Amino acid sequence: MSESEHGPAESAKKAPLERLSGWFDDRLGLSYPMLRPAPAYSINPFYWLGALAVIAFVIQGITGMLMMVYYVPSPTQAYATTQYIFQDVSYGTFLETVHLYTAYAMIMLAFMHMMRGYFVSVQKKPRELMWVVGMLMGFVTLGFGFTGYLLPWTVVSKSATDVGTGMLNALPTQVSSFLSFLVVGSGGDSGELLRFYDLHIVILPAALLALLAVKMYMLESHGVAEPVASSVTAAKRKLIPIFPDVSFYLLELAALFGAAMLLISVIFPLSLPVEYSAQAAGAYTAQPDWYFLWVYQILKIQAFETWGLPVALGAITLVFLALIVLPFIDRGETRLIAKRMKYITLGLIFVAEVAVLTVWGRLTPGQVISNEQAVLVLGGTALLVALGSVVAYRLVFGGISRATRASPPTGGAAIGAPSVQSALHSASLWTASSFVGLLVLGTFGISGSIGAVAGMMAANATSPALLDSLGASLALISVTVAGTAYLVYRLDLSTGSIKRRVRAFEVGWKE
Amino acid sequence: MKSQESASTTDAVVTERMGVRIVALLLLVASLSVFVLWTLNPVGSGSETTFAIYLAIDLIAFGLISYVDRRVAGEGKIGRVPLIAGCCFILFLVIVGFYFWP
Repeated sequence: MSESEHGPAESAKKAPLERLSGWFDDRLGLSYPMLRPAPAYSINPFYWLGALAVIAFVIQGITGMLMMVYYVPSPTQAYATTQYIFQDVSYGTFLETVHLYTAYAMIMLAFMHMMRGYFVSVQKKPRELMWVVGMLMGFVTLGFGFTGYLLPWTVVSKSATDVGTGMLNALPTQVSSFLSFLVVGSGGDSGELLRFYDLHIVILPAALLALLAVKMYMLESHGVAEPVASSVTAAKRKLIPIFPDVSFYLLELAALFGAAMLLISVIFPLSLPVEYSAQAAGAYTAQPDWYFLWVYQILKIQAFETWGLPVALGAITLVFLALIVLPFIDRGETRLIAKRMKYITLGLIFVAEVAVLTVWGRLTPGQVISNEQAVLVLGGTALLVALGSVVAYRLVFGGISRATRASPPTGGAAIGAPSVQSALHSASLWTASSFVGLLVLGTFGISGSIGAVAGMMAANATSPALLDSLGASLALISVTVAGTAYLVYRLDLSTGSIKRRVRAFEVGWKE
Repeated sequence: MKSQESASTTDAVVTERMGVRIVALLLLVASLSVFVLWTLNPVGSGSETTFAIYLAIDLIAFGLISYVDRRVAGEGKIGRVPLIAGCCFILFLVIVGFYFWP
């Protein structure tokens, strides 16, 4: 009720606090629904991966501001002040550990958010620009990781940053000098550290907040993307208010995420590596942090070591560009996974290659990868994933389309049709997820075994660690093979596709 | 049909009652863990671990309380599994917290 509607006599009867809140309400509209209600199906953690990444950003902001009190961004004092935080500041190690692990979680959540969006094709009309803004936010998140990694000025962080900034030299001279000026500056180590610090605490947070505001505005106007399921029940479509329902759900997720971060920090506390010096860097094999390992591993391939470096950087840039403009490439109207085999397979190959390259990079620090080995591992992974995807599509979605064609909903059956479709969809999702899980296990197993054998060949001897790694990888491969065989057997129970094919080839099948 | 409806309502009420009792217990645990956090000596060795564990207990308790409140206000049914699993995990953390007591 506004003051203006009732006049001064009636408003004078109200309690002072009520009048005060009414004054604010009239001007700010607090009691009106400000945000678009969300559908009930969005009460699911997979819908809020981006929100969790934002929560991680908030935690990083809080821990980062506390560390800013002590940190001095200068090559002579950066390490000493970081060491001071670790050793002398109350809960300093805890602060540093939570800051780092939350940064890792933010990167992982942003990647999961992107890949989930890719697989359920949220980038379709009218959300194309939301996707583009989200991709830009992902790059800013990676920028946070890259700039923040240098700040402790340890041998690990400085060497890794030098590898990253050294890649700029592979670009054409004008581009290279412009980017070097922007990122590194011309003031030597002190200029570089100061620039990274400024980027990390001012420019990137401001950019992320601006992009977040744009994305939130678009989310508010378009709402949450519908699930790809062909049938969503009326109960699931029911709209629920942002406050208190969705807000409380987000608070629950935030509380559990925060608790997980705290407990991980307790279980794996950080220790500060040695300070950077030219001598220490000479004895250390430079390697970037895990989220850039896949890029680094590509650049370690023999063909890209010298003349091929611009080609490799160009190819990686093309992959990123393709991801940014994805909504304008994948222009088909359907969002159903069953009808997007090409894009789903490409996405699976991308995830598998990134996983394999990351694990491989961790196993082979500083080693140049021969062209043959690269073709074998990367080509093998792509082939394995593509084959697995095609087989899964034929088994899962082929069976479903046959089943739905065989029993069209008529009369009374139409009442139960949505639930049958929903059950089939659920079964297909479970099967596809199991296949994806098995594929990831298989790729880890294959890359692990190749890495172990390559390690043995490089060292020309066997070591217990390499044997353990080889054993674990072979065990993973065995689990994958057994799991795949079991899954195919279970699928065959319902579709009978193997029996039919065996009969078709007349190799004999005992019914 | 009627008996089925009344049975499901009774189930929901029983679950809701159980939820309310657990919320009371969780509030007590959360208050105690806040008290522990308040009394910790920040410069004492080993207090970082205790701090992190008891803060995690607080957060999980808050999450469970919010879950119960949301479910009661919405569907009126509270899933037993998340509540029992959450409470067991809190109990485990309390025990671990005592182990790391500075």
